[in-house]
Amino acid sequence: MKKISISALIVSLFLSTSLFADGHGEVNIFNARHYKADAELYDKFTAKTGIKVNLINGKSGALEKRMIEEGSDSKADLYITADAGRCGAFDAKGMLQGGLTSAAIKSAVPKNFRTNKWVGIAKRARIIYYSPERVTGAELSGMTYEGLADPKWKGRLVIRKSSNIYNKSLVASLIANNGKKATAEWAKGVVANMARPSEGNDRAQIMAVAAGEADIAVANTYYLALMLSGKKGAEQQEAAKKVKAFFPNQDGRGTHMNISCAALVKGAPNKANAIALVEYLLTPEAQEHFTNNTFEFPMIGGVSPSPLVVNNLGLDFKQDLTTKVSTYGKNQAAALEVMTAAGWK
Amino acid sequence: MKFNFWYISSLAISLTIIIPIFTVFTSFFEDTSNYFEILKQTFFLEYIFNSLILLIGVIFLTFFLGVGSAYIVSFYHFPGSNFFKWALILSFAVPPYIYAYSLFAFFENYGTAFTILKFLFGEGNYNKHIPKFSGMFGLILSISFSLYVYVYLLARSSFLYQSQNLIELGKNLGFSKFRSFYTIILPAARPAIVAGLSLVAMETLAEFGAVDFFSVNTLTTGIYNAWITFDDLAFANRISFFLLLFIFLLFITENLSRKKARYHLEAKGGFKKKEKIKLNGLKSFFAFSFCFILFFLSFLFPLSQMLYWTIKFPENFFDLEIINLFLNTLYLVSLSSLVLIFFALISNYGNRVSNKKILNILSTLSISGYAIPGVILAIAFITFIAWFDENFVKSFGVVSIKKLFIGSILGLVTVYFIRFYSLAFNGIKSGYEKMNICVDESAYLLGYSKSKTFLNIHIPYLRNSLLFVVILISLEIIRELPITLILRPFNFETFATTAYISASEDLLEAAAVPSLCLIVIASFFILLTSKYILRVDNE
Repeated sequence: MKKISISALIVSLFLSTSLFADGHGEVNIFNARHYKADAELYDKFTAKTGIKVNLINGKSGALEKRMIEEGSDSKADLYITADAGRCGAFDAKGMLQGGLTSAAIKSAVPKNFRTNKWVGIAKRARIIYYSPERVTGAELSGMTYEGLADPKWKGRLVIRKSSNIYNKSLVASLIANNGKKATAEWAKGVVANMARPSEGNDRAQIMAVAAGEADIAVANTYYLALMLSGKKGAEQQEAAKKVKAFFPNQDGRGTHMNISCAALVKGAPNKANAIALVEYLLTPEAQEHFTNNTFEFPMIGGVSPSPLVVNNLGLDFKQDLTTKVSTYGKNQAAALEVMTAAGWK
Repeated sequence: MKFNFWYISSLAISLTIIIPIFTVFTSFFEDTSNYFEILKQTFFLEYIFNSLILLIGVIFLTFFLGVGSAYIVSFYHFPGSNFFKWALILSFAVPPYIYAYSLFAFFENYGTAFTILKFLFGEGNYNKHIPKFSGMFGLILSISFSLYVYVYLLARSSFLYQSQNLIELGKNLGFSKFRSFYTIILPAARPAIVAGLSLVAMETLAEFGAVDFFSVNTLTTGIYNAWITFDDLAFANRISFFLLLFIFLLFITENLSRKKARYHLEAKGGFKKKEKIKLNGLKSFFAFSFCFILFFLSFLFPLSQMLYWTIKFPENFFDLEIINLFLNTLYLVSLSSLVLIFFALISNYGNRVSNKKILNILSTLSISGYAIPGVILAIAFITFIAWFDENFVKSFGVVSIKKLFIGSILGLVTVYFIRFYSLAFNGIKSGYEKMNICVDESAYLLGYSKSKTFLNIHIPYLRNSLLFVVILISLEIIRELPITLILRPFNFETFATTAYISASEDLLEAAAVPSLCLIVIASFFILLTSKYILRVDNE
């Protein structure tokens, strides 16, 4: 008797979740961006449209794998991640479908930041940070990504590991512009210039410059703004003030831009809702929310970045709009190969 | 009929648990992509080398910390010795990944150490003088401070059961304390210590969160990367194969040592209650300091770092749906405990009443899941389900079973079941072993049916063991990361996954609140059972 009641209890405990309604008013996101600001935006979207947003959070690689293994049984509608290379590579595996072609999307997002399967929702630039005490204006003048391999930076550069996706995308864009062979040489030069073997996240690179461990660092734009905002505490706010931002390749193709993208997953059970959510994320209201909280650059015109970004990093810089972000995905494996071959940890 | 039931249920349990091993071994001969060739040269050796360094470092440190502290608290009286006896287990509540977050945040440039120095001595460039704990060294520390508890517990119980005669023998021979320890006490406790160290080694090889955080490439993260970055499940399984070979060696070592780990001499009546030596002056100060520093570093340090952040950035506290996370954790814990205990009882009872050799073999097979790292289990499980679905279920035209098992509570609990079955099985087994078979026979003579014997005699008798098993399972599930991360359903987070997600986004401050909750809940569970864990004292 007891056994039976225990089994009944077990069965009912299982059923309580597996009977999840596959209702109409929802959209399922495989989400690799975990900013509080994003969650707030999804709440606003639900309040506006009545469409419930279901999230499964994780790192992009693991999320992609799960969607692939689930195959046609996947409930995934949208895949949101913070790197264009990811969306491109996922598309190459045949996991996405077209449909992000509404007028609202097309008019909002510049061509090189979207395909019909995935769309950029916010931008970030990967730039150089330097110590104004130890790096002169003359040294930096005309500085490019290519110049990071210049022997004059020997023992003065910090950058994170080669496994990091932002680095993969940056190096992929260099391969697209300069070819694989030249980039392989470049990677060797960069490794020779490192002040220490790569470690830590982007913020740690900026702090290494502030603390005097290195003179220049490569990191994304929003990290400095995040530190300056005081959200990381007073000490890091002070540290951030010791570092200045520099936008490379201004005389040429412009600074390397990356995007956070939303991709429409093949077989999405709630396709219309997914498109509606993407359209919402591209409204001025949502874009302003992004810029003020995650300190990214807006994807659409007419919205300005956070004052913290504008005042400290400057707004008036030339973005690389010629290198298609879709090449980041295509060259990802080659990028990792040249970095690994160069001994980039 | 009865025989069939026990046989079938034991077989079913073993089959479920064997799934991942089966999957790994069958994929071993599959072709891998050309990445394998590139990787073989660059990464593979690094994976093996790093895993070895990590293993050696952790074993060395946990041996020193675990045996040292166990020796001091078991043989000596000093201020606080009764407190440290149980307080030293508390560090088990801090999983290695949370320790890693604390370590990193305290020592990073402009981190907590910097803040403290600035507060004490005013402005200054302290960063240069603050040691940096990242990479391999930080990883070894993080894992050791969390796992030394295994060695401590096993060494301690072995020390406590060592006959006073042995110790007096040393005295009579005129040995110094150090020499007695080195030549008598330590060798006598060796099986227990080896068992503890093997457990530590298995957990170290299985560790995912901390390894991932410090981005050290070990075999375990190598498997994960081969699967995720290189898209090469066959290669992932091939690395798993090597790792599993490694682990089975440890598994066998642990099992053999445990069998030898008898805590008393054969001679009857020779057991004299041990008198603890009272320490005075400098010696007592050293003993106290060793224990206090260990307690501080392993438990108070991560606890205060997380508490400090929670207070410094209170907005994170209010943003987190703590009740929800708590309920999710509770839900997983209670469901898994029920399922695990239900099957472990059936299996143990089956072994008891039918006493068939084949059942014994099956149950030995079924406890192997604990040795397999969670990452491998989860990946192998997904692979298996996808394969099974493709080749069997679909060809019969039945609806897909993927939805049922991937991204569902059912799948999650199934894999927990595979991983933690040995905890439940062995816990109940040790309860049963203390209960003589005559008890059953007397019950039958009194006219009790088998089921009545089970319900009215076995269950009440096993109550303590059951409670202990539930709490062990709860502790493991609260801290569990990779399985939950890979297999959980939509909108379903636990404290562990929330902490991990925040940390992976460079939001360690936000990881503090879930980490703190995790530590507090786990500590509560540990305190609840500390009497039981330390029960050798009461005998």
